[in-house]
Amino acid sequence: MQSALLNRARGAAFKATRPNGCSRSVVVVRATAEAPVVERKERKLGPLERGGTLSGDQAAGKDAGDKARAMATGVTAAATILQIVDGRFVDDRWIGGRWDLNQFKNAAGEVDWDKVIDAEVARRKLLEDYPIPSINEDPVNFDTSEIPWWAWVKRFHLPEAEKLNGRAAMMGYVLALFVDSLTGAGLLEQQESFLGKLALHICVFAILLVRSSADLDKYKGLIDEATFYDKQWNATWDGVKRPSEAESQ
Amino acid sequence: MAASFANTQVSGKVATRQVAQGRVAPFRATGVRKAAGAQTSSSLFAGVSVPQRVFAMGGARSVSRAVQTVFAMRDGAVLEGRKLRVAVIGGGPSGACAAETLAKGGVETYLIERKLDNCKPCGGAIPLCMVEEFDLPMEIIDRKVTKMKMISPSNREVDVGKTLSETEWIGMCRREVFDDYLRNRAQKLGANIVNGLFMRSEQQGSDGPFTIHYTSYADGSKMGVPATMEVDIIIGADGANSRVAKEIDAGEYDYAIAFQERIRIPDDKMKYYENLAEMYVGDDVSPDFYGWVFPKYDHVAVGTGTVVNKTAIKQYQQATRDRAKVKTEGGKIIRVEAHPIPEHPRPRRCKGRVALVGDAAGYVTKCSGEGIYFAAKSGRMCAEAIVEGSANGTKMAGEDAIRVYLDKWDRKYWATYKVLDILQKVFYRSNPAREAFVELCEDSYVQKMTFDSYLYKTVVPGNPLDDVKLLVRTVSSLIRSNALRSANSNSVDVSFGSKANSERVATA
Repeated sequence: MQSALLNRARGAAFKATRPNGCSRSVVVVRATAEAPVVERKERKLGPLERGGTLSGDQAAGKDAGDKARAMATGVTAAATILQIVDGRFVDDRWIGGRWDLNQFKNAAGEVDWDKVIDAEVARRKLLEDYPIPSINEDPVNFDTSEIPWWAWVKRFHLPEAEKLNGRAAMMGYVLALFVDSLTGAGLLEQQESFLGKLALHICVFAILLVRSSADLDKYKGLIDEATFYDKQWNATWDGVKRPSEAESQ
Repeated sequence: MAASFANTQVSGKVATRQVAQGRVAPFRATGVRKAAGAQTSSSLFAGVSVPQRVFAMGGARSVSRAVQTVFAMRDGAVLEGRKLRVAVIGGGPSGACAAETLAKGGVETYLIERKLDNCKPCGGAIPLCMVEEFDLPMEIIDRKVTKMKMISPSNREVDVGKTLSETEWIGMCRREVFDDYLRNRAQKLGANIVNGLFMRSEQQGSDGPFTIHYTSYADGSKMGVPATMEVDIIIGADGANSRVAKEIDAGEYDYAIAFQERIRIPDDKMKYYENLAEMYVGDDVSPDFYGWVFPKYDHVAVGTGTVVNKTAIKQYQQATRDRAKVKTEGGKIIRVEAHPIPEHPRPRRCKGRVALVGDAAGYVTKCSGEGIYFAAKSGRMCAEAIVEGSANGTKMAGEDAIRVYLDKWDRKYWATYKVLDILQKVFYRSNPAREAFVELCEDSYVQKMTFDSYLYKTVVPGNPLDDVKLLVRTVSSLIRSNALRSANSNSVDVSFGSKANSERVATA
């Protein structure tokens, strides 16, 4: 097909309809590669193959999607993805009660952990919304610790860390400016003073711990939860001293 | 009416020293002393009486009122000519063990139980240490469970029990058999078992004896006959809906509603559950508890429970049945039962000479909902404190002795309860937390620690290095599970603090 294009490029009529850069690049790219093939009888390209059509790797990602492509090309092997059939979880990549990591390999041959995480998230959500009975013959053997720690860090921690570092930097800059305007102490001087160090620590920890206004309520709730049971147990001793305490005194 | 009742029950005996101290000489008022002559022969219950009136209001005016004869005795006063009388209301594990210890200690004990063949809805699991501590025979244990399966919301199953030795197991028993054995043992040691339903009690003054009004079923009739009894101390062992607790205004507690269906399943399916119990966790099964399949003697009990959303308990039960659907296929439901389970102790566990033990006091652990062992143990400890405080039934005992039991109990078992509370707060919060829980239970260190603390009821410290490693694994498991929760998940987050039930559940 490339040789046919090449020949076309030489035709004057053809040249008029194609942009200059395009024909030239085709010629340049294929000149050396297709040289021995030029002798072959050229086949006229159909309308689907010219006019800027790309194919193979260059057209990758421009298809409608796996399912639509399978239907259009008539490929009968329909992939089962994340379905509950007959009260069992079925997925092409879920074999023997675990995700088959071989099916998650990318072009370079390494496991794409993001896809594994996506699949597990989707599986859990599906089973949460549509619980299935527990079947002895279908055990679940997948452990989330199979996914390496750096995959978790890259996906979940780094974006959050970026946001928090950004906030800390902005707050730090603004506060340093503010303190400088008030006291005339420069950045280094501020950090050397005790108050400066204290303020820096408070600022950083506040940004780490209080990420949204709901967090303050959450911490109050946690403190309440941590102490509530103790209060319930000690209610009987309201106003009365324990014998063991009375003795020690 | 009540006054004459009290009089007929009491036989006139020697006056104690307390009479002589600063009290006015006996005064006869009309209508009260009439039955004095018939006292000695008709009394069922011997008791020291001080034929002496205490003037609550003082002055001659009080004479005109129909004042009862009051027999007040301070704590520590010597009981002359009679033993201390204690009524234990409720004949379950706590009541029976209390009655047994009291009787052994020389106290006159009355165990009032309303239904001697009661089949209380219960998981029926008893830890290994209970067999030894309470000298239980092997006959009352139907099954020895040595394997437990925990099943996560995404159906990840973990076998817990790998670390159990040959001699370690969890006993499953029938409550009717178990309770009956303990009661009969108490009776053999000298406790009097009274088949009756406690109605109310009155105390005659702040240091006087209690008059217990109950409906006696001694004649075998369904309606029963009203009867009364006079005792010095009352132990309320009447379970989660305790009337004694209401009488002394012990306060309310949060409780879970546990719902259970007993299902008879085909033999081949029963084989799977021969010595295996299952625990299902998940939002569908319960927002703050777990669903279970426990093997009984020839059937399984499938059930679940909840605190925050009691009205939806039938939905949770349906979900639990669905989760165990394949394993219990072909089963027939033979019984449906439900019962409340206290979540924490009542605000006041004693008042004056009334003590609460067992479920009535609220001694059920969190996370696992275990109550039988703690009921029996608290009954025993309370009785021991009373026996000691009354010097084997020879002196009057009161709130001080009961508070000794409360203090001992708190100090001994607080750590166990707190650890289970922390476990519940951390791992029953949400679906990701439950997934992490099941994932962590795969580890043999965790299994060993769990079973050691459950079977022997001591919080074992363990190797510090292993504990640190476990802490790291816990945190990382929780982080991973929470990261795997979908952004548009419909699951709920439950908190366990002091907020009202409806506010404790929030969608993720």
